[in-house]
Amino acid sequence: MNWRLSCILACWLPLAAHAVEVDPVPSVMWAFYHKQLLADAPFVFDARVKLLAPPFAEDARQVPLEIDARAFKGHVVRILAWAELNPLPKIVDFQPKEGVLPWLALRIRIEQATPLRAAVLTDDGIWHVGSALIDAAGGGCTAPSVVRSQPGWEEHLGEVLGGRYPRGEFSRVRVQVAHPMDNGLVSGIPEFFINHGQLRGQDDQVLAELELFPAVSENPNLAFDIEAPGPTRLVLRDNSGNEFDAAIP
Amino acid sequence: MRWILLLCLGLSLPALADLDYALKPRLIAADTWLLEGSTDNFAKANGGNIVNTAFIVTEAGVVVIDTGPSRRYGEALRQAIAQVTPRPVIQVLITHHHPDHALGNQAFKDVPIGALADTTRLLHEQGDSLAENLYRMVGDWMRGTEVVLPTQALQPGVLSVGQHDLRLLALTGHTGADLAILDQRTGVLFTGDLVFYQRALTTPHSPGLAAWQADLDTLQALPWNLIVPGHGPVAADAQPFAQMRDYLGWLDQLLRDGAANGSDMAELIRSPIPERFAAINLSRYELTRSVSHLYPRYERAQMQRLDTRY
Repeated sequence: MNWRLSCILACWLPLAAHAVEVDPVPSVMWAFYHKQLLADAPFVFDARVKLLAPPFAEDARQVPLEIDARAFKGHVVRILAWAELNPLPKIVDFQPKEGVLPWLALRIRIEQATPLRAAVLTDDGIWHVGSALIDAAGGGCTAPSVVRSQPGWEEHLGEVLGGRYPRGEFSRVRVQVAHPMDNGLVSGIPEFFINHGQLRGQDDQVLAELELFPAVSENPNLAFDIEAPGPTRLVLRDNSGNEFDAAIP
Repeated sequence: MRWILLLCLGLSLPALADLDYALKPRLIAADTWLLEGSTDNFAKANGGNIVNTAFIVTEAGVVVIDTGPSRRYGEALRQAIAQVTPRPVIQVLITHHHPDHALGNQAFKDVPIGALADTTRLLHEQGDSLAENLYRMVGDWMRGTEVVLPTQALQPGVLSVGQHDLRLLALTGHTGADLAILDQRTGVLFTGDLVFYQRALTTPHSPGLAAWQADLDTLQALPWNLIVPGHGPVAADAQPFAQMRDYLGWLDQLLRDGAANGSDMAELIRSPIPERFAAINLSRYELTRSVSHLYPRYERAQMQRLDTRY
């Protein structure tokens, strides 16, 4: 650790009792990802970023993941999540704006037991890293698509199921999008996945930007907590240029 | 080099010899013997002996109900039977295709192995991957274990072996193809995994909890006087049925409410488990699994179509 980072940490530690210097999960890849994805920027391992996943993957193709950075509400610039030992590690890059809580739930594929990370960039330039460890029998990234085994799946591409669920101060918006999210690892099937999304509120102002990667499960399930009043639009685009549009009343 | 080899051999032989299921058949009714497994999860410490298997010593020979999780278990079961009776094993009945019940089949290749036709189909489709997962969880106990498919398709009705009329029921709640067996002579009801007792039920292949509840009604209405659950202790009263109904009802309501409130899977997995289920082993572990198996159906049933493409 360089001296500048140490200084920043030293200043931070009294403020952030939850921040720990020691990696809370056994990882052989942290330094690599710190450089690769966070460009060696200042960071703390921080238990206030809750990365909630089951201790083991019952279905390695559909592993539920919840990223909760509400402890930093109002200061979150970006949330980046990845699965360290996945062949395609990146999961999501989420940028909630005014009116969207720094919280996200989705389902992912994992190829083997792995540390999971959610790095939350706050407006002071520090990455707060939440961690979890998940066990798995494995194979979630290379298993044949369930969607593609259903005849006529192309007809349903981009269909969105979902709803809005009032939660008092905010409302939960959930969607499930029909899409195979092909990651290119299954023989003979090239990458074909939803790579971009935008949540828009009244007057079409952007509430959140979302970049998705093919570690996200097929038929992606996404959930957001939104303070802004409805209706909400979710605009999605895949890497073949298809656009999908959903209106959540 | 030779010394190193000898040393390795010396160290490894006792380790191998330790893998002994030490099966102790227990007489639970006339002619009826139970090999009760633990209510724990598959682990290297238990070799996968988490399951109840049984055998009935009839005048015509021995009927075996389920063969256990591994070749080693199947062989140990066969030896345990030979300790109890000189009569030959003449029939094996497999209650369903799950690996802890059917992977001991190798030790009974010389005997007709009966199962529902769909059980054989499911074991054919999934057996290898189920066995692979057990190798991962149980380790060396599994050595040499391979899937052996049943050789005989059972129909619901009465199967008479010696003086024992065995009533076979074809049910679906646990895996889609679940055999229950009522020995009409002794009143012992072998429920397979349609009943778990003091051990949380598992749902990876369940067609739905309503079907399971209906199967419990069917089973409870039979003239039984002793219940042998697939996992957990035997019972002479209806307590296992009550516990199953209570747990299935709670699970169904939890998933229903979760879908109605827009809860995510990761949140539901952390739901509090009622105090009354505290005695049920592995309930948190199995809730995590069941949410993964079942919740997608509850979610979809509740969601609206939102795309504006059409």
